[in-house]
Amino acid sequence: MQETIVIGVIGSDCHAVGNKILENVFARAGFNVINLGVMVSQDEYIDAAIETNARAILVSSIYGHGEIDCIGMRDRCTERGLDGIPLFVGGNLVIGKREFKDVEVIFKGMGFDRVFGPDVDLQHVVDCLHQDIAVYNREHLAVEAAA
Amino acid sequence: MELQNKKIELPDFLAEREQVLTTWPTGKDVKFADGVKYQESLPEHKRFAAVLKKADQEGKTLSQPRAGVALVDEHIALLQGLQTACDLLPSTIDAYTRLNRYDEAAKGIAKSREAGTSLLNGFPAVNHGLAECRRVVEAVDKPVQVRHGTPDARLLAEITLAGGFSAYEGGGISYNIPYAKKVSLERSIRDWQYCDRLVGLYEEHGIRINREPFGPLSGTLVPPFMSHAVAIIEGLLALEQGVRSITVGYGQVGNIVQDIAAIRSLRALADEYFRAAGFDDFELTTVFHQWMGGFPENEAMAFSVISWGGAIAGMSGATKVIVKTPHEARGIPTMEANRQGLNATRQILNMVQDQVFPASDALAFEVELIKREVRAVMSKVFELGEGDIAVGTVRAFEAGVLDVPFAPAACNAGKLLPVRDNHGAVRVFEAGQVPLPEDVLTLHRDLIAERARAEGREPSFQMVVDDIYAISKSTLIGRPAK
Ligand code: B12
Repeated sequence: MQETIVIGVIGSDCHAVGNKILENVFARAGFNVINLGVMVSQDEYIDAAIETNARAILVSSIYGHGEIDCIGMRDRCTERGLDGIPLFVGGNLVIGKREFKDVEVIFKGMGFDRVFGPDVDLQHVVDCLHQDIAVYNREHLAVEAAA
Repeated sequence: MELQNKKIELPDFLAEREQVLTTWPTGKDVKFADGVKYQESLPEHKRFAAVLKKADQEGKTLSQPRAGVALVDEHIALLQGLQTACDLLPSTIDAYTRLNRYDEAAKGIAKSREAGTSLLNGFPAVNHGLAECRRVVEAVDKPVQVRHGTPDARLLAEITLAGGFSAYEGGGISYNIPYAKKVSLERSIRDWQYCDRLVGLYEEHGIRINREPFGPLSGTLVPPFMSHAVAIIEGLLALEQGVRSITVGYGQVGNIVQDIAAIRSLRALADEYFRAAGFDDFELTTVFHQWMGGFPENEAMAFSVISWGGAIAGMSGATKVIVKTPHEARGIPTMEANRQGLNATRQILNMVQDQVFPASDALAFEVELIKREVRAVMSKVFELGEGDIAVGTVRAFEAGVLDVPFAPAACNAGKLLPVRDNHGAVRVFEAGQVPLPEDVLTLHRDLIAERARAEGREPSFQMVVDDIYAISKSTLIGRPAK
């Protein structure tokens, strides 16, 4: 079954090149990609995910304000009924050249399931998506069935 | 709103100005006469236009970094640390300010104070206001330019120019198409006419402020003719509002012949179009941006890209070069990394200072090609605008006649697809609605076909993607893995 995912670049960020490539790669990997483009607010991702019954949200932040723009994203998802939806984040996530493992700690702390640097192998991301969506579907569907 | 390329009447400008200055509390401190007086107090060596003019006369290439942090004292320390390694200083503005989100910039300032380090990607000049801008200008000994990416830069211009900055980057096209998503071109061109009119007003009061259209656009495989057309149009729009010091820009593509031809043709064409529009009292200079696309993460490799750009900037005769840093692939550079990029660039600029890139058939051919391409596009823009370049520009983007690759703006067609040829020059793979002459299109097609044969594959979007990554992975051309 073709799973829907929502992608976009968060905040006031205009970097469009990587976003266009991600759309292309995920579409070729068989996903139904809802691409919101650049300058996307937290609620816009969530609106789109609800509307399209998406199975994951992939946030990009390239320009360095990710550390500010991403605060509260997980809570907002939960508040709006997207309990446990896989949340990925990637790009040049913070200001300056910092150790990736420190960056990962910050964003995992915010509730992102997976955190990627700019040089990530996108095939690896596709594998992670399949894996996490399978778990989400299992747990999510189980919850729905119980309710 | 009726857009036209016509000098804004003073009463209209002043009425609009009153409103602009209320859009954030710091606007109320700005008084035009006081701004003029402050600018008059700057010594010659801190006046951007004067320093550029002198370099141009002496045939020198000046160096300039990008730099900006959240807090004023830190920003001053940064510029003071850089000024001994460069000729011209910037203040790069943060991305919230660029979109007029001053309340978010305020949060960024507060969080940066808390964190003890800048969490903003630039200097939030509007929030800091007039007096703090002057403190920056007074703390340094080189001319300072505002570098940003702001579709509506009216308030920022008011505050920074009254604050003593003597050059202002941007334009209604180049600060919309690569930097915004939903701003209409009518709006951004009109708002930039305001900025140019303000600069023109300073000019009328004897203060020359330098204006620089942003040459590189999306920074990613932009064919020279397209960025040239945009730079020339923004120059024409600025001249009409009274601007007299203009620096037209170009982002390096990486092929030596195409890059040198680009700077030569850019200067010649701008001069030609500005004079044809009836202006002859302007100061024209050029800026070469070191490679603006994805950088290699490895710092030694990054230095190589930086130095190559420095060499071409020098040999092309550009008046200044905008310098990258070894941290480019990752994040906002530290002052040390920024200085390293500047030092690497200065070394190579000095070494090529007395070398002239030899005239050759290949260079002459490339110069002529760019000129023909620009003229074809420009004449269509004038035609669409029925003689008015502002109207023509809006219609040309609607029609896809002007089209910037990989740009986020909804008003950009995004049909033009570039790809490198077998020698790394950027060519047109799919022209969309860009009106290039038939024989020029055939030439581009043949050059791309030559590469495709060499690689044993058809030209495709994958080839374009390979080119986007190529320099970051240590090559110029994105060849398939063997
Ligand atoms: C081209 C470019 C621009 C162009 C962008 C044109 C456009 N509209 O797209 C222009 C010149 C306009 C520009 C402007 C700015 N830029 Co810029 N830009 C770059 C540059 C050189 C390349 C970016 C790029 O296109 N790379 C190619 C694509 C394919 O890669 P990518 O964007 O990284 O995306 C890939 C990965 O990150 C990853 N990925 C991304 N998102 C996600 C999400 C998930 C879930 C996953 C799994 C993976 C993933 O996959 C993508 C595809 O491979 C980078 C530096 C570099 N990388 O060398 C700086 C850079 C990104 N820019 C930067 C900045 C700060 C800015 C500005 C704010 C100006 C400034 N202060 O310097 C403005 C932006 C204003 C705004 N409102 O956003 C900084 C960010 C700093 C930081 N994080 O600390 C960088 C790193 C340069 C630097 N070192 O200072 N920029």
